[in-house]
Amino acid sequence: MKHMALLRPAAVALGMLAAGAASAQTLTMGVRGGPESLDPHFSALGSHAEAAKHIFDTLVWSGDDLQIEPGLAVSWEPVDEDTWEFKLREGVKFHDGSDFDAEDVKFSIERIPVVSGPTTTTIYVRRVKEVEIVDPLTMLIHTDGPAATLPYDFVRLFIVSSEAAADYSTPETAAEGFNSGMATIGTGPYKFVSWEPKGDLVLERFDDYWRGAGAWEKVIRKEMPNDSSRLAALKAGQVDVINYVSSVDYLALERDSSVDTIKGDSVYIMNLQLDQREDTPLVRAKDGSKLDANPFRDIKVREAIDAAIDRDTMVEIVLEGLGKPANQMMPVGFFGSNADIPMPEYNPAKAKDLLTEAGYPDGFEVDLYCTSDRLPGDGAICQGLGQMFSQIGITTNVNAVSKTVYFPAQSRLEYSMFMNGWGTLTGEASYTLGGLAHSNDPDVKLGAFNRIEYKNEDVDRLLEEGATMLDADQRRATYEEAMAKVMADKAYISVVQLQTVWAAKAGMLAFTPRFDEDTLAFFIKPAS
Amino acid sequence: MMLLRRFWAEFRENRIALAALVVVVLVSLLAVFAPLITPQNPYDMTGLSLMDARRPPGFVGSGGYTHLLGTDPQGRDLLSAILYGLRISIQIGLAAGLVALTIGATLGILAAYAGGRIEMLIMRVVDLQLSFPAILLALVLVALLGQGKAQLIGALVAAQYAYFARTAYGAATSERRKDYIEAARATPLAPSRVILRHLLPNCTPPLIVVATVQIANSISLEATLSFLGLGLPVTEPSLGMLISNGFPYMMSGRYWISVYPGVALIVLIVAINIVGDQIRDQFNPRLRK
Amino acid sequence: MLGFVIQRFLQAVVVMAVMSVIVFCGVYAIGNPVDIVIPPDATQDIRAATIAKLGLDKPLWEQYFLFVGNLLQGDFGRSFVYNIPVLDLIGGRLPATLELVLTSVLTATVLGVSLGIYAGYRPDGWLAKTIMAVSVLGFSVPSFWVGLILILTFAVNLGWLPAGGRGATVTVLGVPWSFLTLDGLSHIVLPAINLALFKLAMMIRLARAGTREIMLTDTIKFARAAGISESVILRRHLLKLISIPIITVFGLELGSTLAFAVVTETIFSWPGVGKLIIDSIAVLDRPVMVAYLILVAFLFVTINFTVDLVFALIDPRVRAGARA
Repeated sequence: MKHMALLRPAAVALGMLAAGAASAQTLTMGVRGGPESLDPHFSALGSHAEAAKHIFDTLVWSGDDLQIEPGLAVSWEPVDEDTWEFKLREGVKFHDGSDFDAEDVKFSIERIPVVSGPTTTTIYVRRVKEVEIVDPLTMLIHTDGPAATLPYDFVRLFIVSSEAAADYSTPETAAEGFNSGMATIGTGPYKFVSWEPKGDLVLERFDDYWRGAGAWEKVIRKEMPNDSSRLAALKAGQVDVINYVSSVDYLALERDSSVDTIKGDSVYIMNLQLDQREDTPLVRAKDGSKLDANPFRDIKVREAIDAAIDRDTMVEIVLEGLGKPANQMMPVGFFGSNADIPMPEYNPAKAKDLLTEAGYPDGFEVDLYCTSDRLPGDGAICQGLGQMFSQIGITTNVNAVSKTVYFPAQSRLEYSMFMNGWGTLTGEASYTLGGLAHSNDPDVKLGAFNRIEYKNEDVDRLLEEGATMLDADQRRATYEEAMAKVMADKAYISVVQLQTVWAAKAGMLAFTPRFDEDTLAFFIKPAS
Repeated sequence: MMLLRRFWAEFRENRIALAALVVVVLVSLLAVFAPLITPQNPYDMTGLSLMDARRPPGFVGSGGYTHLLGTDPQGRDLLSAILYGLRISIQIGLAAGLVALTIGATLGILAAYAGGRIEMLIMRVVDLQLSFPAILLALVLVALLGQGKAQLIGALVAAQYAYFARTAYGAATSERRKDYIEAARATPLAPSRVILRHLLPNCTPPLIVVATVQIANSISLEATLSFLGLGLPVTEPSLGMLISNGFPYMMSGRYWISVYPGVALIVLIVAINIVGDQIRDQFNPRLRK
Repeated sequence: MLGFVIQRFLQAVVVMAVMSVIVFCGVYAIGNPVDIVIPPDATQDIRAATIAKLGLDKPLWEQYFLFVGNLLQGDFGRSFVYNIPVLDLIGGRLPATLELVLTSVLTATVLGVSLGIYAGYRPDGWLAKTIMAVSVLGFSVPSFWVGLILILTFAVNLGWLPAGGRGATVTVLGVPWSFLTLDGLSHIVLPAINLALFKLAMMIRLARAGTREIMLTDTIKFARAAGISESVILRRHLLKLISIPIITVFGLELGSTLAFAVVTETIFSWPGVGKLIIDSIAVLDRPVMVAYLILVAFLFVTINFTVDLVFALIDPRVRAGARA
C-alpha cells in the first residue's frame, strides 16, 4: 500500500543545512509555462500573469490563499451603487525612477481593450465604464451597474508606466516595445533584462521596490514545458527550483534527500457534469437502442453515479497522493464555499440499488468525455471514473481528448457526461457559481459556462441577488446557500481537488505555496 | 513456383534473416490471437481495477493471475496491453502500407504507360512529395484530420504512396522501353492486358521490397505520432501510446510501463527490416555472384 | 537551355501557388483557434471581439487574398499567441535548428561514410557485420525511442549530460550560437546523436552499397591487376567515385533532417523551429503553421529546382526529355 505523504506545514523552511549552499545571489527557476509577451495586458493566461508579477504590480494584491490585500491601491470602497473609490499608495517608484500615480492606472485600464490578445485580459476591466481621476492618489471607477466583485477583478490589473508605454500601446507596437524592454517599466520587484519567447526571462533586482528590495540580485526564469526535463534539470543542478512536479514523480521525490518538495492545494477541482436536457446525445441502452428519457434527469441516477465514485482511490492511486477528495466546486475556505457540505460516501452496492430504483437494473451505456492534456491527471481520472461507473453497470466509453477538441465540442453541447477542471481563480464564489450554476442567461450575464442546461430556480435567484449585494457578509451567506443547493442536485459532481508540488535543492529555499500556483521569485527566500 | 522455391532456398541460407522471419510470423500470430491468449481484455473497463495500477512485473493482481510484465497506470496487464497494442500497430501498418501500395503502384504504372502530360503531371507531384519529409506531412495531416484510426491511416497513406509510385514507375518505364511493349501498344490489345500481363509483374519484386520497408515505417511513424500526442485515443493504446504513457514513470524507476512496449515495437520493426533487407539483396542482380 | 530554365521556373511558381492555397485552406479548415485561444470562461462579447480582432470573421477567400497580398510584401502575419511577426519568431529560432541539423548531418556523414566504406570493403568481416547491425538498428528504431533512452541513460541515470534545452550562447554576426561554448556543446551532444542516428544508418548503407559495387567493377580489377596498392585504390578511385552520390544525398538530406528535427526538438526541448511548429499545432497558432509550411515548401521547391538545373547542365538528355 502506498502511504499518503504527510502534508508539510504551509510555510516551510527547507532544511537547516543551508550553510554555504549557494551564494544567494542568483535564483534560477525552471517553470512549466511562460509569458506570451512581456506586455502584461496581452494575455490572461496564468503563466503570463505569473511572469508579469515579477516586473509589474497590480492594483489589488491577491495573497497566498487568494484573499485580497492592498497592492498599489491601499484601500477601496463602494461609494454608491455603481462607483468604487480607490486610494493609491504614496511614494511608489517605477524602474526608471518616475513616480506612480492615478494617471498610470487610468492609462493601464484604458490600454487593455486595445492591446489584449486572444486570451483576453478584458475580463479584468469588463465592468469598468469610466475612470475618473480625483487627485494623483485618488480615483473613482464607474461601473456598469453594481459590481460587487470589482476588487477581485483587479488582482491581475497590471499597472504600466503611462510615459514609457505611451508609444507602445497599439496592437502593432505593443509587443515590440515590451519585448525589447523599452516599455517594460513597472513598479515590481524586478527589472527587465532580456527575454526570449519560450526561453529565458532574465531579471535584475529593483532596489527601490516599495515592499523592500528582494533577496536575489538576479533571477532567471527558464521555461521548460516538459515535466521530466524540468525535474532532470533540477537534479542536475541547472535550476534551483521547479514548479508543477508531476504526480508521477512525487512519491519518489519525497524519498530523495537531495531535493525538498513543497506541496500546496490548487484552485482546480475536477467536476463531472451531467447533461440535464430532455434529450441527450451520447446515452443509450446497452443494446444500442434509444432510452425513453435522459437518465441524468433522475436524481436517483445522479446519486448512484456519485456513490460509485471512490474518491480516496482516485487520490491515492490515480493521483498518487497529489490531490484531495472534493465535495464542492471550490476549495473549502474560499469566499462562498460551504464547510457544512458532507463528503459523499463511496458505496457501489447502494449505487446499484439506486439504479434499480430508477428503473435501470441493467444500467445503460454512456460516452464520457474529458480533457487529456489540460491539467495534471485529467485523462487518468477520467479513465478511473470509467472503471468505477462500469463496475455499477453503466457501460462507460472513455474519451480522453485534447483540449483543442474538447472545449469547442463542449460549448456546442455535444456531450452528455463530461469532466474538466475548473479553477476558482478569483478566490470567490460568484466567478464559479455565476458561470456554471446559473441557467444560461445573457441578459443577466450569468451561466455562460453552464453546458448542461442545469436550472434550479432557487439557485438562479440566489445568484442574481448575490451579484449585486455590496455587503460582504450577506453575500457570503447567499453564495454558501447556493453552493449547498447546487451540490445537492448532483448535476455537477465534484471529484477531486488537485494539488501542486514545487521542488527545490535541499535546504536552499523557503517559501509558501500559493493557491494560484504562482512561482514568484520575490516571495522565495534563501533558507537561513 | 520454381522461382519461389529457389527464392526460399536462398532466403533460408541467411540464418539471421530466417530468424527475423520467424519473429515476424510469431509476433503477428500473437497479435492476431491476442484475445485468446491474453489473461485480460485491456480495453474492457469492467475488468480493470485501479488497485492493480503500476505494479511491477510478477505482481499477482486482483484477477488472481500473475502480471508477467507488470501493469500500467490504469491497472491494465501490460502483457495483454502490449499484445493488443501490437494488433493495432500491425493493423495500421498493414492497412496504410497496402492502401499506399495500391494507390502508388496504380499511379506509377499509369504514368509509365500513358506517358506525355499525364506522366509529367503525376511524376512531378510524386517527386515533389518524395523530397518532402514523410513525417512532416503525416504530422500536419493528422493535425488537420483529427484523431482516429481512419484519419491516421489516411495521413500515413498520403505520406507514403509516393515511394510506391516512384518504384512502380521506375520498373515499368524500363520495361516499357522494350520493343515488345511498343509492339503491343500498336496492336488493338486492351491496355489493361498489357499492364496486367507485362508491366505489373515486372514491378512486383521492387514493390515487395518497398512494401516491407514501408510497413515497418508506417508502424514506426504511427508510434512517433502517438508519442507526439497526435495519434490514437488513449483508451485503446497502440504501442507508441503505451510508450508515451509510460515514459513519465521512467524517472521514478517504474521502467516497465514504457520499456516493454518499446522492446516489442523495436523487435517487430527490426525483424521486418531484416527480412526486407534480405529480400532486397536477393532481388538485386548486381550483388549476385 | 533558357527555355528549360523558364519552363522549370514557371512550374516551381505554379507549385508554390498551389501549395499556398492548399496550406492556407488546410490549416484554416482545422478547428477554430478562437475556441482554444480564448479561456473557456470568456463571454460571448469577448469572443466576438477576439474573432474580429484576429480577422477570422471575414470569408475564407478574403482572408486568403489578404494573406497573399501581405506575403508578397514579405509579411507573413503575426502570431496569434505572441503577437509578434511570424518571421521574427521563426527567424529567432532558426539558428538553434540550423546548428543542430548541421552538427548531426556532418557527424553522420563523416562517420557513416567511413564506416560504410569499411563495411563494403570487407563485407564478410565481423566488424562489417557489426556495423551493418548497428545500421539496421539505426534505421529501424524510432528516433523518439532512442531519444528517451539517451535521456534516461546519460542525463537521468549517469547525470553526465543535460536532459534538454539549449546551452549558453555566443553572438557571432548578430546570431546567437551555442556550439561555441562548453555549456552549449554539452547540451547539443544528446540531441545531435539522436538526430544523427538515422542519417548515420543511411550513410553507412549508401557508402557500403557504393563501395561493394565499385569494388566489383573493371576499373578496380584492372588497377589491382596493375599492382596499385590498396590504399591508393581506396583513396584515388573509390572515394572519388562514391563521393558524387553521397554529396547529392547530403544536400537532399539536409532538408529532410530539418523536418526530422521536429521529433528530436520535442523530446529534448530544443528551442528550434520544429518545437515551435509542434507547439503551434497544439494551440492552433494558424499564422505560424502557415508560414512554417510555406517556408518548408519553398525550401523544397528551391532544392528541386536547383537539382533539376544542375542535372540539366550535366546531362543534355534531361533537357530534351523535358521538351518531349
